[in-house]
Amino acid sequence: MTVNTGRILRVNLSSGRIATESVPRKVAEDFVGGRGYGIRYLYDELAPGVEPLGEANKLLMIAGPLAGNTAQAVSRWMTCTKSPQTGAWARSVCGADFGAWLKFAGYEVIIVEGRAGKPVYLHLTPDGCQIQDAGQLWGKDTRVTQSWLAERHGKNTRTACIGPGGENLVKYAAVVSDRRTAGRCGTGTVMGSKNLKAVAVTAARRLTLADPDAYDKLARAQVSTILNNPGFKHHKEWGTTTTQDLTNSIGIYPVRNFRYGQQEGYQQITGAEYRKLRTGDIGCYSCAARCGKVHTVKTGPYAGAHSEGPEYESIWAFTGTVESLSREASIAADQLCDDMGLDTISSGSTIGFAYECYEKGLLKKSDLDGLELKYGDPAPMVKLIKKIAMREGIGDLLAEGAMRAAEKMGGGAEAYAIHVKGLELPAYEPRGAKSQGYNYATANIGASHCYGYAPQEIFGAIMPRPVDRFSEENPDIVIFNQDGTAWHETGIACAFSSGWGWMDIFGKLVAAARGIDKLADGDYLGKVGERMWNLERAFNVREGFTRQQDYLPKRMRTEPLHTREAPGEGQMVSHHDEFLDKYYQLRGWTKEGIPTGKKLKELGLDSVVKDMATKRK
Amino acid sequence: MTVKINIPPFFQHLTGSVKIFEAGGSTVGECLNELVRQYPEIKSKLFTRNGRLLKGLNVFINGESAYPGELARPVRDGDKLHITYVMVGG
Ligand code: SF4
Repeated sequence: MTVNTGRILRVNLSSGRIATESVPRKVAEDFVGGRGYGIRYLYDELAPGVEPLGEANKLLMIAGPLAGNTAQAVSRWMTCTKSPQTGAWARSVCGADFGAWLKFAGYEVIIVEGRAGKPVYLHLTPDGCQIQDAGQLWGKDTRVTQSWLAERHGKNTRTACIGPGGENLVKYAAVVSDRRTAGRCGTGTVMGSKNLKAVAVTAARRLTLADPDAYDKLARAQVSTILNNPGFKHHKEWGTTTTQDLTNSIGIYPVRNFRYGQQEGYQQITGAEYRKLRTGDIGCYSCAARCGKVHTVKTGPYAGAHSEGPEYESIWAFTGTVESLSREASIAADQLCDDMGLDTISSGSTIGFAYECYEKGLLKKSDLDGLELKYGDPAPMVKLIKKIAMREGIGDLLAEGAMRAAEKMGGGAEAYAIHVKGLELPAYEPRGAKSQGYNYATANIGASHCYGYAPQEIFGAIMPRPVDRFSEENPDIVIFNQDGTAWHETGIACAFSSGWGWMDIFGKLVAAARGIDKLADGDYLGKVGERMWNLERAFNVREGFTRQQDYLPKRMRTEPLHTREAPGEGQMVSHHDEFLDKYYQLRGWTKEGIPTGKKLKELGLDSVVKDMATKRK
Repeated sequence: MTVKINIPPFFQHLTGSVKIFEAGGSTVGECLNELVRQYPEIKSKLFTRNGRLLKGLNVFINGESAYPGELARPVRDGDKLHITYVMVGG
């Protein structure tokens, strides 16, 4: 059997040098692929202290070992870099077809280095890569950009690009492919800083597997398991558009910048209500779920708005943050973010911060280009998105994200910037779902819901055991969720699919795709997940991160949550220090959160021991 | 005969924070009906008007999914039931 570890395309935009290389077998064995490759290469290749928007930072675009084949929900792809929002390790996952197309062109990883002297795009085919002029695309939104490239290079072309948000270095700019985004952590900002407008891939479909027969059998088993799974059926029907029904009913839907856990009148923004505006379904390559629900607004001030979404996080970002009940405005806001290339979560969360600053008198109408940010009124929110993307007026300040905007404003605004490590919080209230909250606190990329999601608290999942969502004594659950997410992301398995009953086949599929038997073993993959987590942590420690950056915002620790008619009234995060002590201990780290030499050696990360020893002194 | 029903976090407000309910019954459906008799508010969150388990919910018997035909599945003394949402993530 052949071994297929994946091929890397390395493009230096400063020098114009283009090279290809294979991933060494040892790296494939130790890190498998996807996010594993991302952290291994970034740790090795980025010197500590590199400026995230400087020439020396690198941007990785990675497809997984399973992408572009018949197995379901594994053709997603990701961007990895050092984040301009957090200064930490970053990964952001995206859907649509681009990951599969990268594989069809013969690559698993693109490493973009340097900075082009003028706007460019990369055009990849199975014959190689060309750096092309993107002068005429600069300033164009993501829809126009993708259509232009498809017209120029033919319909067998798929593109990942930035919009004006990335060009203008909005700190939370996204990379967009079709209507899906690698949203979090500002990876689109890094792309913009490199003057890289787009990567277009033109290729015909072809399979890239070490053992196609074994893979085919496994993929058939996976498909039949998935198609009969109730979670798959529900996801196919609704996507995530019903999650707000649940989170509101149990008091964890963050409202008014994380002061309430339930939105008044939330019955007007349930999944069933969004369904009335649904006009289609769309999905990623080789996934029968087609979970992207397309919505169109036909009447009213937002008539004509049309978006693949909003899904749960974006529904929240454009309702709960400003306590608006307008589905139509949320659809318009979602569309605008995708067009402009902005992360919806950070956009909504930063705008929610601005609304509270207006309420508290820290931002006045005159600071806001005449806008009045009144709760319940979504019109200024929609206007702000465009201003942020263009860095126009108040948009220039808000383009920095909540943490930096608050630092610039002073006057106590920091208290209203709801973030961890600079990344704004997503749509689950930590005081009502504490393992989810502690995942925000300790996640290596900052406050992300999908870097260690706690289904035990939110959906009643029973693996590895049921948990009490108000308890702060579940560091083992947080670690289980974090390391589990890490190894799933070696094959870039869609997070939604992890509940569809097929994950016991995952390793076998990866082993067949790579031609490396040991990857079939679930326990082995568990260790890989832990190894990845520790290397990401080491990356952050090397950048100067300590225990100090592992705390939830002060609001969660000092202000009781108000849940209106839902349970959980008065909940707070009260045992943060004790939690961190136990979490670090279980992880095998020091009290400062630095991986010990013993733990690193146990994980085969000997090359990192010296770096961490310097930090422990 | 006793079957323990673990009340998931999203229903505990309907059971006065009770986390485990002991029911008698020879099928999943009978056990859940006993739960409903004790906590009537839970009925509309568990069942459709026709008495089917609501779409989006699943029941596990001793950690094994009871889907499909959940309500008719037999249970034995000492079994543990878990009610979960079938969704993941958001
Ligand atoms: S479940 Fe949705 S997001 Fe995940 S791979 Fe399928 S279509 Fe894409």
